[in-house]
Amino acid sequence: MSSFRCFVLCGNMAGLELLSDQGYRLDGRKASELRKVQARMGVFAQADGSAYLEQGNTKALAVVYGPHEMRGSRSRTLHDRAVINCQYSMATFSMSERKRRPHGDRKSTEMSLHLKQTFEAAVMTQLYPRSQIDIYVKILQSDGGNYSVCVNAATLAVIDAGIPMLDYVCASTVGFVDETPLADLCYAEESGGVSSLALALLPRGGQIALLQMDARLHQDNLEALMDAAMTACKGVSKVLDQVVRQHLQEASLATGD
Amino acid sequence: MAADMRLPNIRKLVSLSLSAGDRRDLVVPGDVITSDSGFMRGHGTYVDEEKLTASVAGEVQRVDKLICVRPLKTRFNGEVGDVVVGRITEVQQKRWKVETNSRLDSILLLSSVNLPGGELRRRSAEDELTMREYLLEGDLISAEVQSVFSDGALSLHTRSLKYGKLGQGVLVQISPSLIKRQKTHFHNLPCGASIILGNNGFVWLYPTPGQQDEEAGGFYTSLEPISLSDREVISRLRNCLLALSAHKVLVFDTSVLYCYESSLQHQVKDILKPEVMEEIVMLTQQKLIEQEG
Amino acid sequence: MKETPLSNCERDFLLKAIQEKKRLDGRQTYDYRKLKIMFGTDFGCCFVELGKTRVMAQVSCELVAPKENRPNEGIMFFNIELSPMASPAFEQGRQSELSVKLNRQLERCLRNSKCIDLESLCVVSGEKVWQIRVDVHMLNHDGNLMDAASITAIASLCHFRRPDVGIQGDEVTVYSPDERDPIPLSIYHMPISVSFAFFQQGTYLLVDPCEREERVMDGLLMIAMNKHREICSIQSSGGIMLLKEQVMRCSKIASVKVSEITKLIMKALENDKTARKAGGKCGFAESMPQERITALKKDETAVEMTDVTERANDIVLNAEVPPQTSQSLLVPLPGMGQVGKDLQNSWGIEEYYQDEEEAFNSDEDKQTMMEVGEKQKVHEDVVEISDSEEDEVVILQPEATDRAHKKTSSSSHLKEPAKSKKRHRK
Repeated sequence: MSSFRCFVLCGNMAGLELLSDQGYRLDGRKASELRKVQARMGVFAQADGSAYLEQGNTKALAVVYGPHEMRGSRSRTLHDRAVINCQYSMATFSMSERKRRPHGDRKSTEMSLHLKQTFEAAVMTQLYPRSQIDIYVKILQSDGGNYSVCVNAATLAVIDAGIPMLDYVCASTVGFVDETPLADLCYAEESGGVSSLALALLPRGGQIALLQMDARLHQDNLEALMDAAMTACKGVSKVLDQVVRQHLQEASLATGD
Repeated sequence: MAADMRLPNIRKLVSLSLSAGDRRDLVVPGDVITSDSGFMRGHGTYVDEEKLTASVAGEVQRVDKLICVRPLKTRFNGEVGDVVVGRITEVQQKRWKVETNSRLDSILLLSSVNLPGGELRRRSAEDELTMREYLLEGDLISAEVQSVFSDGALSLHTRSLKYGKLGQGVLVQISPSLIKRQKTHFHNLPCGASIILGNNGFVWLYPTPGQQDEEAGGFYTSLEPISLSDREVISRLRNCLLALSAHKVLVFDTSVLYCYESSLQHQVKDILKPEVMEEIVMLTQQKLIEQEG
Repeated sequence: MKETPLSNCERDFLLKAIQEKKRLDGRQTYDYRKLKIMFGTDFGCCFVELGKTRVMAQVSCELVAPKENRPNEGIMFFNIELSPMASPAFEQGRQSELSVKLNRQLERCLRNSKCIDLESLCVVSGEKVWQIRVDVHMLNHDGNLMDAASITAIASLCHFRRPDVGIQGDEVTVYSPDERDPIPLSIYHMPISVSFAFFQQGTYLLVDPCEREERVMDGLLMIAMNKHREICSIQSSGGIMLLKEQVMRCSKIASVKVSEITKLIMKALENDKTARKAGGKCGFAESMPQERITALKKDETAVEMTDVTERANDIVLNAEVPPQTSQSLLVPLPGMGQVGKDLQNSWGIEEYYQDEEEAFNSDEDKQTMMEVGEKQKVHEDVVEISDSEEDEVVILQPEATDRAHKKTSSSSHLKEPAKSKKRHRK
């Protein structure tokens, strides 16, 4: 894996194109094609909810505890809704270079903030006054789209914990190359300097829970890119929906009712 | 030294066609249950653009006009009259905080416990000072839900001789949705041990007390050694409970007893082996069906 | 110190005002507050006022070894300092959520958009590159820190000059400004952040929220753009649900705002340049004696003063009699007040006082009063103390004395003409 990544990095400097003339990307996908998503709910016994999700080579674990009594500083208690506490971390072995600090640096703190923001929008926190919901996400292997994979995994974990949400939250990272939007970027594409946009969507109502974009993009192209991102999110939501339904079937079969 | 080894086996895929097809009563968040405005919104649902929509993944339940969605797995949602087993986490002024696997810590007021000796009187400031003598942080208690506060926290009481501090025994934590609601949650099992099935998923196994203790008000705990046979029975019951919970079988006195009976041919420590677990649970389910039929 | 919570009535008031498309400081929905850009004596020092929000930035540079994976690129470093000086809510020495958010957003806005040519900062490949450090200090927090910070940072980067270097063999010499003129950074474009505050689940939208508005908002959308209408970064924050149309609308508004602000920065830079060329005193240190920094000075409001008299006369001539409202005159007797909206008094005073009252409210009285009133209003427009209650008080005085005078003559016979007049009017 790492050798492949090195090659791609060098290739980029030499001007390797991210989208071939035939319309194929580095890993052989079409422009609007997503990576394979595989997921499983209820992977831990101790937690209230947990999930594991793979999106291509990016793998994440999400665990939800709560809603429970406030831990730590009581002063953060909100009298009208629950506090959502998120922690994003990356395993030390998740990237080609060993990561020294799994969490707590600026980027991870920011990512935790974004996750928190995303789920504050989607989870019906007003049903649980004065309590706290913990969402812990860990990236086991990073290959681009970390934020979106985390959101998708955490959504499954929250559903597994039986916490009410308005809808699924699905996220996707899209890029823009040669006037074409690329769905679900992998690491090579992300680091290749394309302008990337991360978007978390509640697919049913088309509401955007989080929008973040880096690098330059002309205003006129924004709409096309956002449309591509929303389509990608809806694609992800279909997969998640299948996973949840499958899980429900299995679990309800076992209880025998 | 003998060691157990087992190879990984492929997870059995539940074939969807074999089961009841796609069951319509299973919903996921965002699913529209009905757009008929004649229904009432229950737990696990919300109204979006006049459509009743599910907010959790689970089973739709309908009582008259009320529609609820019950999630498969959730924290304990207490109701008045539920029996709970909990752990004291904090001693505050005039009340104890009790951890009951609920979304907020439950509260046991000083005024809703029986004083030792069964005295009936107003609680004085002195009682407030001696609260730690009755219940200390970390003590396990059994109690009943007296009322539910507006924020969802539970208020407990122990105003009966059957409730109070728990002494020697084993606590097993299982999912609250696996506990079957019954008339009584205290059972003296014929196999020689007693069980408290807390609605909150906390199950307490303890040796059957000899005779009803004298007026201890539920704060007396016997510290006499328990005989080996009793301990063995309790351990076996604990492992049976874990087996039942692993296979998501509803837990109540009959199911526990059948499970216990089916496990008798195995050693206590073997019950937790996956294949033994499966066998025992199969036998239990068979017995349950026979009994029903 | 924890932020003091906003009282409920304040919150309701602000939200209600926003619903009615009004803002506390009289701005329109898409207006920025007054923006002022000043430069310091040193290169790379910039001071920005956005309303009462004050931000200062200083750029510095240093020769360091480059990062391993980018051997021939300079290093940019941004830091936003939220000192407790700016607001009691900022804590000392802790990385608060806000500070992480602002820092990351500034980094994204200026570094990831590649607005500065990093390769031009390389001195010896793999060994020595320039590290450019931008320190942004918040001096006073009155909302919209991000926009102020991004303007300050980019303006100070444009203003900055780094020392020239010479390479002889292995030796690198840094020339002082006296030996060789310092070199400006090469900046490709100027990304400027524009913040949009959303209220009531995105129903209402404001540009450049002030501190009060920030405290009642549901969420924020920050769009960084340059004048070529290229979006450099977008970030939504707070638990809001956005719709695509809203984002598109915001991006359109942002492009207009950005071009205005860019022009302003360019102008400020030019002014500074000419001032420097002229050798005059300029910059931050010079502003100290004028108390530009130390005092929160009130700016004069420019008021149109030409042809005031003509306009006043014009208004008087064209004034129409306002519709009869019972609210304007409510003193039935000298020394008797009326309380409450409803004009029925419950003090047991005979009814004819009321009739009488209406009688006096007749047309000719009204006309004269109107003139007084209008003049008063014109005058008020100029000095800007508009208070609708005040003119009522002024009007009432001559009237009251007048009535008192009449009252003393006779009150019983006055009842009759009053009634007739009333009929006549009907």
